[in-house]
Formats: sequence, structure tokens, C-alpha cells
Amino acid sequence: MKPANQIRQWVSGVGAVAVTALILSGAAPGLAQESESVSVSAPMVKGTLPVDDPNAAIWSTAKPAKFPMSPQVHWPNRILETTVKDVSVRALHDGTQVAILLEYADPTEDPDDAAAIEFMVGDKKAHFAHGQPMAQVEGGPVNIWYWKNKDKKGVDMNAMGFGTLKVQTHQDVKATGAFSNGTWKVVFTRPLATEHSAEDTQLALGGFINIAFAVWDGRKDGSGDLVEKGSQKAVSSWWYFRAEAPPDYSGYYYAAFAAALALGFQFVLIRKLKKGQAA
Amino acid sequence: MGGSLVRPVLLILSMYVFLKFVVPNIPGSAPLPSSLIFLYLMLTTTGIVIFATLSRESKDAFFAPILNFLTGENIGAMQAARYGFLILFPLLVGWQTYGSTATSDAPPAENRTIHPAPPGEYTGLSNPVSKTPENIMQGKGFYAAFCSPCHGGKFDGKGPAARGFNPPPANFSDPTTIAMLQESYLFWRIKKGGVGLPIEGMPWKSAMPRWEVELPDEWIWKIIMGEYDGAHQSPRTWE
Repeated sequence: MKPANQIRQWVSGVGAVAVTALILSGAAPGLAQESESVSVSAPMVKGTLPVDDPNAAIWSTAKPAKFPMSPQVHWPNRILETTVKDVSVRALHDGTQVAILLEYADPTEDPDDAAAIEFMVGDKKAHFAHGQPMAQVEGGPVNIWYWKNKDKKGVDMNAMGFGTLKVQTHQDVKATGAFSNGTWKVVFTRPLATEHSAEDTQLALGGFINIAFAVWDGRKDGSGDLVEKGSQKAVSSWWYFRAEAPPDYSGYYYAAFAAALALGFQFVLIRKLKKGQAA
Repeated sequence: MGGSLVRPVLLILSMYVFLKFVVPNIPGSAPLPSSLIFLYLMLTTTGIVIFATLSRESKDAFFAPILNFLTGENIGAMQAARYGFLILFPLLVGWQTYGSTATSDAPPAENRTIHPAPPGEYTGLSNPVSKTPENIMQGKGFYAAFCSPCHGGKFDGKGPAARGFNPPPANFSDPTTIAMLQESYLFWRIKKGGVGLPIEGMPWKSAMPRWEVELPDEWIWKIIMGEYDGAHQSPRTWE
């Protein structure tokens, strides 16, 4: 065979493989999207959940998601500048309980420092600002998990619009905060599911739900009044939260089956072609 | 053998390079989605096959090297590429199957309509405030006080309070926002705020205040004039 012919064969052979790869990979769905800053993912842990330890080593196994914060401007009383600019969120669950860790920079520890997590309840969408009523959409309530430094506990609340905040009669949320070197770490915990589905958000494994955050810096101004209080706080928009389901390996089984099928198809096809050529 | 495949392969590769790397760089164009590139490559391949099978001779010349490549007959140094292909193909099928069956880590896609249709009573309203320099100046003053914390002193949507909001506050200097809208549309959006949006606008995500609670209509009309003037845009009108 002439060298020129060999080169041409190589070009066509490698080209055929490359084109097949390009076409197939072009049709394949994209790789997993960057989940940071859009969603908090809570992996399942075996063993003890760090329900009251914001500094537990196991937190490092959860991937942090960082969300920007804005001053609450949607409704009076509004505020135009707040201390906390971002909140970093990690979460874990053990199949029964969920633990969510908020971490944010705050220069000073104050008794009135506070943080909250907000969820929608049920199937109806709720406005991120305390479930404000919407003109053309029937909204649902929000479930708020609240922690304040001086109270040293979590509070489980509901709201459907500003001014409607109500502490639940059944308290399922626990919260613990730890301040160190200008950083607050606050852990909220609650059972994944509760018996009060009309008031409490229910965290089904594997499903995405909406989540939002609020933070109050409890500093006081020159006249001794709190600068951030009530609706005057740093808030985030709605993002996503998911308690991860136990690992699902079925995708690998399907892939192995499909690859075996393709291999079998190749084998049969080539045998058939060889028979044809021999004839 | 093999020579008849060089041109089709080069043609498909050139088509791919053109669609993937050249088209996005044509002024006014944009990157093509991979599904569209795939469709174009399939069309190209179909065209090549039709062309190659127009006569018995061309058909044989086209398919003979493929058959030889697959069966390994008289392909000499191509044998390594053949084994590579035979290994790669099932692996690619497996990979694609995994990609389409594995549970996704991505949150649900959100198709939010940025400018949904306003309620009937807010279409075609004309600004009742006369467009005098004083009124525009007053509108800009109201804008600075009430709107600029989010929409920005430069009307670019980058106010100091904007960073945490998703969707972000509208950038009025962008020609795809207020320049595409009538003044009556802005009147509706400012008056009723984020919570006034229909379901396709995802009102539960918008931080836009419902200014009808705090500002008289006349102020809102003046703010609209100030916004257009400050952002160097003109309202859309019925031509």
C-alpha cells in the first residue's frame, strides 16, 4: 500500500471516530450544572447529625452554597443598607432530621443578632417577602425558622404577608449559634417531616423546595436604637434546597445494559457483513 | 480504498467547526445550541448519503470502505482505529444512556416571562403629566429617592441594594427594557409592583415594591418621565 493511501485511510478512520464522538456527545445532555449559588444540597450522613454544633468537623462534608443578600426594600419599614452581604449555607440530614448551617460575617457579637430561614408551605407559591399577598396568583403561607442570639433557641413561625407573623403552637425547630472571629455560625434543625403539613414545610428526600434567608445585625446606633429590626433586615431571594435521596445506582445499570446491547449489535452486524463479503 | 470517505468526513468536520466556532463570531449571531448543531450535522450526513447513493458505482465506492473498516478486511494500519471505534461506540452509548437516566442535580428550570402582558386597564394610558423640564427634574428626584437604591443612580440596575435580588432589578439603559415598553406599562409595574405580576412573571420572586401604597399616581407618572430621560431612552409608541 502506498504511504499516501495509508495517510488518507488514517485520516478517514480517525475522522469517522471523531465525528461519531462529536455527534453523540453533541446529543448527550450537558454535564451537571453548577449548583452553587442556586441551590443548597443536603447530603445524607450516617451517624450523628451535628444538631447543636456549628463547628463540628462533619460540616466540611457538605458543599457550601453562597447567596448574596440585599436590604429589605420591598415593604415599609424598609432599610437601605445592612451589615451582612452574603450568607454561606451548608446542610446535612440523616434520613430523619435535617440540619442547616448558616455562616456569615458580622464584625461584632450583639444580643440582638438574629437569623432566619424561610420556606414555602404546601403546593402554593408564596412571595419571598413573608408571603405577601399577590394580585393575580393565590399565594400560600411561608414557614419561618428564626433564631436570636439572646434567646438561645429556634422559633417555628408562619406568615402570609407583613404583619401576620405568628409563632406556631407546636415548636419543632431547634437552633444554636456560635460567634467567633467576626463570623456567626448558626445551626437550625428540624425533623424532615412533621405532622403539621399546613404550617410546616415538608422536606421529601430528593425533591427541590424553595428556601430564602434573612439576617439581622443587632448593632445599635448612637442613640441606642437597633439599626436592623423587624422588617429592616438583610434578605435573600428564593433559592432551592434539596435533601439528597440515598444514592441511586440505576443509571449505571441502564448504562451498562445499553453498552452491552450496542456491543451485541456491533458483533451481529459485523458477523453479518463478513458473511456477506465471503459470499 | 478509504479515499472516498475523506471528503465526506472533512465536510462534516468543517461543518461542525463552522457551526460551533465561526457562526457565534458572526456579528449579530449567537452560539448555537448543541441540539441544533446535531440537527445540522445529521442533515449534512443525510445529504452526503443521498449524494453518495445516486448511482451504484458511487454507492459501492462510498460504502465499501465503511464495510471494510467494520469487518477489518484489508485495512492494514487502520486496524488500531477500528478497534478504537469498536470499543468507543458501546462506551458512548452507555455514557449517553447514563446522562439521560441519571437523576439530575440541577434545580427545576424556570421560564420566567420578563415582560408579561399587563391587565387591560393599564394598556394605552397616556402620561397625564406634561413633559416640562421641571416635571422631568422632579421625576428624577423621586427616582433618586425611591428607585435608585435598586435600579441605580445611573439607571443601570446596579443600585447598592440590588445584589441579593433574583431576578435582578431592571437595567433601564438596556434597550430591551423600558425602550420596548409604553409608559402605561411602566405605570402598571411601578404601581402594582412585583406582587402585581401574573403567574408567568413569577411574582413570588420579585422585590419590586407595590408603590401605589406609598406614592400618588402623579408622582409615578413623573418618575416614568425621569426614568426615560435619565436612561436616554424613549417610550414605545403606537406608530
